[in-house]
Amino acid sequence: MQQNTIVSIATPLGMGAISIIRLSGKDSLSIALKVFFAKNLDFETIVPRKMYFGNFKVAENSFEQCLMVFFKAPFSYTGEDIVEFQVHGGVLLAQKVLEQCLDAGAKMAEPGEFSKRAFINGKITLDKAEAIVGEINAESEGELMSSLQVTNGLLAKKILKAQEEIKLLLAEIEVGLDYPDETEETKLKNDIWQRMEKIKSELLQIVENSKSAKYLKNGINVALIGRTNVGKSSVMNALLGEERAIVTDIQGTTRDQIEASYVFEGIKINLTDTAGIRETKEVVESIGIERSKKSLQTADLVLFVLDGSETMSSDDKKIWQMLEERNANCLVVINKSDKPRKIEKFANEIEISALKNEKIDVLKKKINEMVIKNKIDFNKLVVTNERQFEILKNSLKLLEEILDNQFLNTTLDVLAMKLKQVWLTLGKITGNTENEDIIDLIFSKFCLGK
Amino acid sequence: MEEKEMEQFDSVVVGAGHAGCEAALALARTGNKTLLLTISLDAIAFLACNPSIGGTAKGQLVAEIDALGGQMGIIADKTALQIRMLNRGKGPAVQSLRVQADKNAYHTEMKKVLENEPNIVIRQGEVTSIEIAGDKKIVTTQLGLKYVAKSVVFATGVYLKSEIIIGKNREKTGPNGFKNANFLSNCLQNLGIRLLRFKTGTPVRIHARSVDFSKMETQLGDENTLSFSTMTEEKVENKAICHLTYTTPLTHEIIRNNLDKAPAISGEIKGVGPRYCPSIETKVVRFADRERHQLFLEPEALDTQELYLQGFSTSMPADLQKEMVHSVVGLENAEIMRDAYAIEYDCIDPTQLKPTLELKTISGLFFAGQINGTSGYEEAGAQGIIAGINASLFNKNRPQLVLKRSDAYIGVLIDDIVTKGTNEPYRMMTSRAEYRLLLRQDNADVRLTEIGRSVGLVDDERYKKFKEKCKKIEEIEEILQKKVNTDEKLAKFFEKNGESVPKENLKFCDFLKRTNIDIFKINEEYHLFDSNYDNRLLEIVNTKIKYEGYIKQQQEEIDKMLANENVSIPEDFDYMSIKGLRVEAREKLSKIRPLNLGQASRISGVSPADISILSILVKKGKK
Repeated sequence: MQQNTIVSIATPLGMGAISIIRLSGKDSLSIALKVFFAKNLDFETIVPRKMYFGNFKVAENSFEQCLMVFFKAPFSYTGEDIVEFQVHGGVLLAQKVLEQCLDAGAKMAEPGEFSKRAFINGKITLDKAEAIVGEINAESEGELMSSLQVTNGLLAKKILKAQEEIKLLLAEIEVGLDYPDETEETKLKNDIWQRMEKIKSELLQIVENSKSAKYLKNGINVALIGRTNVGKSSVMNALLGEERAIVTDIQGTTRDQIEASYVFEGIKINLTDTAGIRETKEVVESIGIERSKKSLQTADLVLFVLDGSETMSSDDKKIWQMLEERNANCLVVINKSDKPRKIEKFANEIEISALKNEKIDVLKKKINEMVIKNKIDFNKLVVTNERQFEILKNSLKLLEEILDNQFLNTTLDVLAMKLKQVWLTLGKITGNTENEDIIDLIFSKFCLGK
Repeated sequence: MEEKEMEQFDSVVVGAGHAGCEAALALARTGNKTLLLTISLDAIAFLACNPSIGGTAKGQLVAEIDALGGQMGIIADKTALQIRMLNRGKGPAVQSLRVQADKNAYHTEMKKVLENEPNIVIRQGEVTSIEIAGDKKIVTTQLGLKYVAKSVVFATGVYLKSEIIIGKNREKTGPNGFKNANFLSNCLQNLGIRLLRFKTGTPVRIHARSVDFSKMETQLGDENTLSFSTMTEEKVENKAICHLTYTTPLTHEIIRNNLDKAPAISGEIKGVGPRYCPSIETKVVRFADRERHQLFLEPEALDTQELYLQGFSTSMPADLQKEMVHSVVGLENAEIMRDAYAIEYDCIDPTQLKPTLELKTISGLFFAGQINGTSGYEEAGAQGIIAGINASLFNKNRPQLVLKRSDAYIGVLIDDIVTKGTNEPYRMMTSRAEYRLLLRQDNADVRLTEIGRSVGLVDDERYKKFKEKCKKIEEIEEILQKKVNTDEKLAKFFEKNGESVPKENLKFCDFLKRTNIDIFKINEEYHLFDSNYDNRLLEIVNTKIKYEGYIKQQQEEIDKMLANENVSIPEDFDYMSIKGLRVEAREKLSKIRPLNLGQASRISGVSPADISILSILVKKGKK
């Protein structure tokens, strides 16, 4: 049987030092080679079961170091071609890898799908089939609206309402298509547009809220950027204080990069110090800027550390320019406030003295505020389940595709098809995907017939 | 009577309505000696309700019947009084042809075709019973005549124990005063078949001389008329016009004041009526805020003055009907020639059928048309041709034909009724077809002619025509592959059509990716196609290229669906013993006994998780 290539994060989210992202299916390798690059690695030369060290493309022109291993069918867990990526722990990076695989053509795995494939391909014995049945049921159960309803009634209502509204739109379009004689013409496209925009913004709100909630669950990634001698390390140490949890110097993989975390007001902050900007003058631009750029990829917030007692150097300016170009979420930290200030004013800045431990709490507060813009209330519009979150994001993407500049030129049959996709996608959360529902609505809502 | 003494046939078709005619023709044309039994020879292919064929989704069905080698499209073209393409400008997927047909000519023309078919014996008679004798079926009529056949197709329409209701008046008769069939229901029940009781209705017929047309809007046919059948060579001409009028506040008042006399509302009628075809009293009650409802006056035939008042179905008492009609704009002095009535009838629960339209429990018995709980001539004809094809294949011991949801509206129709059942007369709608961008009227022949050929129903003439058409389409596509230089002419052409001028050389087919440019505009400018390539062909290619992206998207969905469609489930699969399935799913699956995982997934109450589990256990069973 021809199968999609599926992907999911195989390790528990947010825990452990590494995350494993697993692909299974006949296109596993071709998908992997679109996003992962290593020396002497290509379709012809790849050696199964050999660990490759290379770069994973997390965004355009941006790479993360990553390990990859290929299992050739049938010698794998599922009996299909499998590729596994190992990246550093933390949710964001694992998410990025997952997203890239999805973009490259993989499909999000269904509940229990790896095991199911393993069974179908004879990799698991028959008596284990019942266990897989349990696994599918358990995982599906967890995703049903009912479970969402129990934990979060308001959210469940919101999603149901959005889906209902889409259903109504569909019914209105369908009436116009199936009953062209009706004088009550379907509402104008403008009306449809407005109502869809509204649905879109509601879904967007849930997605944004959920992102914030993820910070609560998995922490905020903060990158410290700046040239040497501005006191980056002391800023880091001041932030960590006595609560200093883990300071890892990861040898070999991301050498010269220090990661550590602390907890402030219940939220975990993961700090990354790109400590590489201490090389000789000539390579400052290349190595320093490159490293800083890289840490930007996974950072929710950048702390640009400057020495307030000096004017901006050319290196400072280069970094600042780069940050502006990338439109990074950035806070300028003016260090050494114990000395007279010489540096210019920044719109979004904070003066501290790492040395004297002054205003460190203010900085900590500011960090939290800058990332978590919405006040997180777990009882409100937050999706915590990874699959539900993925479904919502997909629905949003589909809506955005409909509401593009071609909207007015789209014929109603195509519009209905696209809208139906959104409805079906949301239906994976609500469980409402019965076409008959739309037809029922057509008849209950509109006066039709001969 | 000994079996030897009885008349022997390959198949018997019971009923000569739209399903029965297609079934009998499909059987006869594939070499089966066929007996066509009908309660009245005058009821053959009778348009008992609307004098029209086609319409949204139904037009697609007619084109599909035609592509398979059926008759409905040819007769509809031949007897058309007015032709309109509906939904022009709403996208090619939902464009459907609809014709006003001459009701008398339609009957006569179809009867002629049947009479001229050497393999068909037409016989008036009411079937009162059927016996199963080994692999033979014995059909008995009310006069005691017996016929033996390998297979039987039941296409009895709305005649089973039918009752006509007008006010308090109930009469045990078939539609339009034809005799009904009083015995067959019980016989079917004795064979273990579950019956349902449905209801439908028809409006009044009015004498044209009594209508004030000056108060109504006229509705004309299309100028450039198209035809249903690819076999129709001549242009179909408009010969009549329709009129549009409205109910008034008075109409609604009369109805509201007399609801106690409305059988459909007072509870007098127990049968389930179709929601898409409500009586005028139902419309007034359910949509109380509507100030008026539109009504159409349609000519019944050229040789009569009778007009059909579309939108005015009712089962009110006859005197009230008159009052109601007279309250309608332009009908103040209308003479009613036939009363509106509701009709109740027995039909079978279609979930007892396989997707081949054969009964699950008794092989060789096929069912088609309104007896399966559907409504509409086109729906009936569609089932008729499939039942006929499958009865024929059954007789020859060949594998059965099942059209998939991605093949045809016919596939959607049959899959819906046998998988989900229906609790009202089922009507085809484009919104029921999830792959409707592919299931267009214009490509029905591309989708189905080869299938019709493989079962022996598409004759040489039709096949040759089809092949020629395919060749021409290929030629058009090839011509569009020509490269065009970006010269001044091209720049002007794009500007004129409000499109940005392309910078690099491109092909003509790339032009079509632009919203404001179609194949006709290109042809006007560049004269690529001569009169050898008619507009209909150009239109097909235009649609194909313009919709390429969406069509591809639907094709991908179909491929996904087929993965499940191709996993068949053993007929004797024991669902009740599977602990992993929810109880509801177990019961539903046991009842429907789906042929494959795809059909299983469409049963309401069966979840994706159930399907996952089922897929594992089906595999397990095979090992």
